[in-house]
Amino acid sequence: MSGGVAGSRRAFLKRSAAVVATASAGACGRRGEGEGEGATAQVVLPGETLRAVGKAVLPGELGADGTERAVAAFERWAADLEPVAELRHSYLVPGVRYSGPDPRPGWAAQLQGLETECMKRHGTSLAEAEIGQRREMLAGRVQEARGDFGPPAEAGHVAVALMAHFYRSAVARDLCYRRAIGQEQCRGLAGAGDEPAALAGAAA
Amino acid sequence: MRRVAQTRVVESDVCIIGAGISAAMVAERLAERTQASIAVVEAGRRTAGLAERARTRDRMLAYGENPYPGDHVAGQIGTGAMYNSMAVGGAAMHWGGAVPRYSPEDFRVRSLYGVGFDWPIAFDDLEPYYQEAEERMGVAGEQGPPEYDPRSKPYPMPPLPLSYNLRRMREWTDAAGIPFWTQPWARNTEPYQGRNVCQRCDSCYVCPTGAKYTPDFAFDRLLADGRVDLVPQTLVRRLVLNADSDRIESAQAVRTDSPEETVEIRAGTFVIACGHAWSAHLLLNSAGGRFPTGLANRTGNVGRYMTGHWFASGFIELPMQLFPGIFVNNSLLSHRFASPGPLDRYLRHDLRLWESDVGRAPRLRGDDRRTLWGDEIVSDWRARTQAATARIRAYYDVIPDRESRLTLDPSRTNSLGDPMPRLGFRAAQATLDLERHTHDAIESRFRELARSGGGKVMRTQRSQLFEHPGGGCRMGDDPATSVVDRWSRAHDHENLFVVGAPTIVSSGCANGTLTFCALSLMAAEEIGRGLR
Ligand SMILES: Cc1cc2nc3c(=O)[nH]c(=O)nc-3n(C[C@H](O)[C@H](O)[C@H](O)COP(=O)(O)OP(=O)(O)OC[C@H]3O[C@@H](n4cnc5c(N)ncnc54)[C@H](O)[C@@H]3O)c2cc1C
Repeated sequence: MSGGVAGSRRAFLKRSAAVVATASAGACGRRGEGEGEGATAQVVLPGETLRAVGKAVLPGELGADGTERAVAAFERWAADLEPVAELRHSYLVPGVRYSGPDPRPGWAAQLQGLETECMKRHGTSLAEAEIGQRREMLAGRVQEARGDFGPPAEAGHVAVALMAHFYRSAVARDLCYRRAIGQEQCRGLAGAGDEPAALAGAAA
Repeated sequence: MRRVAQTRVVESDVCIIGAGISAAMVAERLAERTQASIAVVEAGRRTAGLAERARTRDRMLAYGENPYPGDHVAGQIGTGAMYNSMAVGGAAMHWGGAVPRYSPEDFRVRSLYGVGFDWPIAFDDLEPYYQEAEERMGVAGEQGPPEYDPRSKPYPMPPLPLSYNLRRMREWTDAAGIPFWTQPWARNTEPYQGRNVCQRCDSCYVCPTGAKYTPDFAFDRLLADGRVDLVPQTLVRRLVLNADSDRIESAQAVRTDSPEETVEIRAGTFVIACGHAWSAHLLLNSAGGRFPTGLANRTGNVGRYMTGHWFASGFIELPMQLFPGIFVNNSLLSHRFASPGPLDRYLRHDLRLWESDVGRAPRLRGDDRRTLWGDEIVSDWRARTQAATARIRAYYDVIPDRESRLTLDPSRTNSLGDPMPRLGFRAAQATLDLERHTHDAIESRFRELARSGGGKVMRTQRSQLFEHPGGGCRMGDDPATSVVDRWSRAHDHENLFVVGAPTIVSSGCANGTLTFCALSLMAAEEIGRGLR
């Protein structure tokens, strides 16, 4: 019974994800080391282009270090993402759900595409283009995205995935409120009743 | 190589089928108070233990993954409102741990208000078992006004602290004259039974610290003490009658990891603790001989009167600044309207309030649909945090129809060919007749509450999902209209008990699991009497 219908669908999706990832790997990434048969090939997102996108879409208020931390956190998150993973059950809805196939090959291709377009349009790499030029290029690409930042893995475009990942974080919430709220941080019960402290250096 | 079919035989005084929270209550009580040997047979396997939960929590938060991977049995999927979790601990591995009691009125709605059904027991009959269930789980709670929150002893632990957000909201509700108090939770505010104190991780679906009660803790203890024989990955397909009497003789099962291996469990007493869907399913699937429509089903009531509550909910904008994220998994509760006193027209519901970031979350596009970038997103977000959002919800009583029914679905079978359950919940006409009145009254209550705080209702929603489902083997004194008696013993089989959710008569206006546990303990008292 363990090899039921759900199991075989999952295996199929995993295999498809691996094929997509492998097919794209030559152009936009490299295969992970030591992967076994049927394992998903690891696609690394081009870091410089991703950082150029980060500077265009993440808040400047974060500062250079904060932006770097947010992009690096996204990279780690993307590296650990498992396609076709078993998802949290829906409440009182029968059936096991799995996440979609690997979004990373597509994201890597998008970053590659941005570089190519930037070179053609502006004669520079994305990192050297002005922030306004980068945003202009991204605008059409994020038009279809959900307005409310859904799960980053479901974002059609890597720029939206990066923003969605950041805006779900405790760092983003604390930045917005300029308070040390520390959502989901296992903070202990003490202090729960207090108004959260102002962040050091934050204007009220 | 062909594998040879094997049958393993398990013998015990008591066989508990299912290893969810109701089973844990029965097993613990019997283990402590009797010398009986106890086998607990569970279709699913053991899932992520405490040591793994910090990691699976991180992945749940990052990727939405199931923190208890593999906690289901392939092919065991029905249709309708049911849980997926089939594993040691059952659905309560995932639960939030909100454990209000039902109100005394829930047990007597026919006598008091002329609608629905009275239970065969009163709140006072169940009260000691409520207390016992709270002590077994470890419940942290605040005593509400005694007229709305009756209890004979204090909660085992002090309540979870109100966050800054909830404190401000309570000032608002106090000013509005509606008594709210802290929701009781099966989460520790003090070290309890060797488990940790809540660390406010706000991921209660999986608790990385062990502060939330989950039934696997009870089974681990019982296993360590050698008091139960836990038989996981073993799906009971049917119960078999004694040739000469209506006693149950054995349970026939298969290993879910190697279906060619069958397991026969022989016991003096059988306890079905398979939750709201699989309990009636097992009885119906055991049809044959003298019980052609299913065991315990002489009067045709197995699978009927499936029940659960509906709700109305809303978001209220308040003119104050709150800080969503301080403690999302605590809330305020009121049973003021679950114990409403005399009524012209039936209307009973609870009220629950949470902090919320609805309307105050970051967004990619502004009101004019223009894409926002960088600092614009933060400015737009910040501007919307100057006011606050409270989430409010009212669970209300739904009267189950006799045709609210679990049946076997021959068009959907597992790999063994057994039909899967189809759950067709249905509210009785009395509830449908009251529906408009119910919603109008609740929504006007939301508006009044909002107005009293200088706020407004942003939006409301209605849900007809039968939450905290139960029924299908309801209890009663009259075998013509029920499946089990007040002690959860099947009218038709002296050595068969069905415990917890399936036995409830109605779902009241409160989360149900504490009541399922109290009923299971009451059943365990009766089972124990026969064993001593
Ligand atoms: C996300 C979530 C949050 C929740 N939050 C709350 C809350 O805050 N408060 C509240 O009151 N309730 C809550 N609930 C509901 C609560 O979890 C359930 O009411 C409770 O766990 C039901 O317990 P049970 O013992 O009746 O059944 P289950 O937990 O379903 O256990 C039954 C067990 O029996 C096994 N079984 C079934 N058939 C067979 C068979 N034929 N052979 C062998 N084994 C079998 C199953 O595998 C299962 O493990 C929540 C549920 C979920 C999913």
